[in-house]
Amino acid sequence: MELEELRKDWQEMSKEIEKQKILTDKLIINMTQRKYKNKLKLISIPEFIGTVICFAGAIYILLNFFKLDTWYMQLSGIFTALFCIVLPILSLKSIFGMQKIDLSKSNYKQSLERFAKNKKQFVIIQKASFYLSFILVIVSLPVAAKLMNGKDLFLESKVWLWYVPFGFLFLYIFSKWVFKKYKNVTNSAEDLLKDIEISS
Amino acid sequence: MQKQQEFVELMKENEGVIFKVTLVYAFNEEDQKDLYQEIVYQLWKSYDSFRGDAKISTWMYRIALNTAITILKKEKRKGNKIPIDDSLLSRIDQIDTLIDDRLKILYSHIKNLNTIEKGIILLYLEGKSYDEIAAITGFSTTNVGTRLNRIKSKLKSQIKK
Repeated sequence: MELEELRKDWQEMSKEIEKQKILTDKLIINMTQRKYKNKLKLISIPEFIGTVICFAGAIYILLNFFKLDTWYMQLSGIFTALFCIVLPILSLKSIFGMQKIDLSKSNYKQSLERFAKNKKQFVIIQKASFYLSFILVIVSLPVAAKLMNGKDLFLESKVWLWYVPFGFLFLYIFSKWVFKKYKNVTNSAEDLLKDIEISS
Repeated sequence: MQKQQEFVELMKENEGVIFKVTLVYAFNEEDQKDLYQEIVYQLWKSYDSFRGDAKISTWMYRIALNTAITILKKEKRKGNKIPIDDSLLSRIDQIDTLIDDRLKILYSHIKNLNTIEKGIILLYLEGKSYDEIAAITGFSTTNVGTRLNRIKSKLKSQIKK
């Protein structure tokens, strides 16, 4: 079977497809106005809810910052607030950035390059978020306890005896899983970029 | 309104082109339907930029392929979905009866190609010249030729297995 033959078969099939008229005016207009629910739509409700919660948390910490009376509490408070502000902004920035892309301005090769680079960047952000989230789990609890109950968990509780070892165990197990997962993603993005460069 | 009507007519004339792109890139029927809608939306968004251009097929393929790789590769989101119209899905069944066994085999092998190769072979099967493929993809004409030779031997060896 030669590819030329397949090309002819393909074009025969194309003629049959062209004969079938499925689209109606209304259907096309609905598509242009995005009057449909599409799982590929770029913004999802959980992302907005997550951002609102993060911002609310950061504002709460900043408004009550004076209650954090020791250097380590203040440091923990600053880290928690920064985390709650910066990460959602990065996430929303990448989502809105995707929406802004004008697909008519780039060709297939440029889109593939952009996609591969975005994917690599995404993996870096995901890895960073993973480690920062772990630190957040450690520092946000004492901050919350201090702000809500006035308690200094660093001094008044034995919770650290199990909280920290458990946290490190969690980090060890999940980091292995996360790196295995993202290694494949990074490799495929790098392969794609190499492939594009070879053919340029 | 006139612009919208022109666009509607254009989509009706070329609905098969979009359908074939979704056939090659989508992983399942649901993705195919979503991708179809997204391509139409992206075409509408960039319709003004096309109006000055001469070659309509270059514009359509470029947007369709760019949408396929940009949108489908993203992290898939879950959520409730309301189908826009089942006719798009029923079309897949109709097409299935049209494709003979040889084309079905070819489709399955195209799906195994990498993203760059998928785009180039699709344009080749669509009857595009090397120059047209180069214009749509951004690769040079010579590279398109080299790549197509590689894809041909890849497909041949896959089909022989």
